[in-house]
Amino acid sequence: MTPKTITVGTGNVRHVKIGGAEPLVFIGGPCAIESRSHALSMAERIGEICDKLDMPWIYKSCYDKDCRSSPSSFHGVGIDEGLAILSDIRLEAGLPVVSDFSDPAWAAPTGNVVDLIQVPAYLCRQTSILRAAGETGKPVLLKKGQFMSPWNMKNSVRKIEATGNEQVLLADRGTFFGYNMLVNDFRNFPIMMETGYPVCFDATHSIQLPTSMGDISGGQREFIPYLVRAAAACGINALFMEVHDDPNNAMSDANTVLDIKYLDRVLSHAKAAHRLRLELLEEWGEDRVHLDD
Amino acid sequence: MSISTTDLTVGDVLLPPADVPVVRHKALLKEALEAMTTKRLGIASVLDDDGKLAGIFTDGDIRRMLLRDQKPFPALFADDVLDHAVRAPTTVTPEAPLAEAVSLMEERGIWDLPVVDADGCFMGLLHLHPAIKALLGI
Repeated sequence: MTPKTITVGTGNVRHVKIGGAEPLVFIGGPCAIESRSHALSMAERIGEICDKLDMPWIYKSCYDKDCRSSPSSFHGVGIDEGLAILSDIRLEAGLPVVSDFSDPAWAAPTGNVVDLIQVPAYLCRQTSILRAAGETGKPVLLKKGQFMSPWNMKNSVRKIEATGNEQVLLADRGTFFGYNMLVNDFRNFPIMMETGYPVCFDATHSIQLPTSMGDISGGQREFIPYLVRAAAACGINALFMEVHDDPNNAMSDANTVLDIKYLDRVLSHAKAAHRLRLELLEEWGEDRVHLDD
Repeated sequence: MSISTTDLTVGDVLLPPADVPVVRHKALLKEALEAMTTKRLGIASVLDDDGKLAGIFTDGDIRRMLLRDQKPFPALFADDVLDHAVRAPTTVTPEAPLAEAVSLMEERGIWDLPVVDADGCFMGLLHLHPAIKALLGI
């Protein structure tokens, strides 16, 4: 399968290419949109780090957190306010943005604003969601469900392709290992690459301990650097991490978001591992060691 | 009026597409196995969107695949059949003399030959049993 490259960003925002030998792309921001000022502040601070590293990036934040464990957890600012804030980020920072949606009716208005539309992992096989995402015409960030095998993601990809949309980015965010625990199977990346689409590693959700704290999810942030380096060495095209300037008081995923003070370090490692892999491929050829290859 | 066996062509005895396992090029391996089982033939013809032969997948390919890949079955079933197919198989045209086609099958040690027209469009399958029966006049 010939590897495809997708382009995220239209109009006056930066156009970011993902796939093939393109540079590693960072997708990041706070899990939830908390306020306009916080969102713009985070976009500016992350932007400074990515500019310093010369790393293309896409701003991520969500307006509705529909899969929170507790009914009392922050649910989000809502679609109208959220999309207005994301639109402001596009206009003021010139950044492409990504956000997810969990109701098919939200796809069109979300697609009118965002440059990359995200399908939540828990909904990755819902035909109505995938069809709605594809019909926006925007590239689709499709997260592999924690319960899904990597080879079965092809079915979800084909539901998107059936709408005529052939711009997909497949992401791994961990796989259930019993209850309240995720592990990363790094075979997922080459297997999902067989679809021809670029692949992404979601580091901050991979270290999540789903609903391990009774009515919220826990997490083991200490493993983020290890998993990021491993994923970059496996050949990911994009790295997804939720980032916050005050993780302990983050309104969503407080136990998993990366403190922004470490972002420079983690992205530097990721970029170096990604570049080294490309250099090794250039010198030694593709990763093909099968007996018949 | 009887036809001399030397005048027989592949087109006289080929099995039409409706009677043989045929799948589209994006079919999963599982779909090809189902088609081969339903039509009781050890070969599936894989066609592109224009009806042209994109490859063939046979019982022998399955044996070799199982020994080589050692993937879990759910992963194998989800593979595209085309990834395991022979992309440029030996073919014949409907106008080809039957005796020559059977000689070719004997030479290659194969039981089935896909039949394509001049544009590469799939016309059916030449299966050894009906071919031999026709040549023997039985």
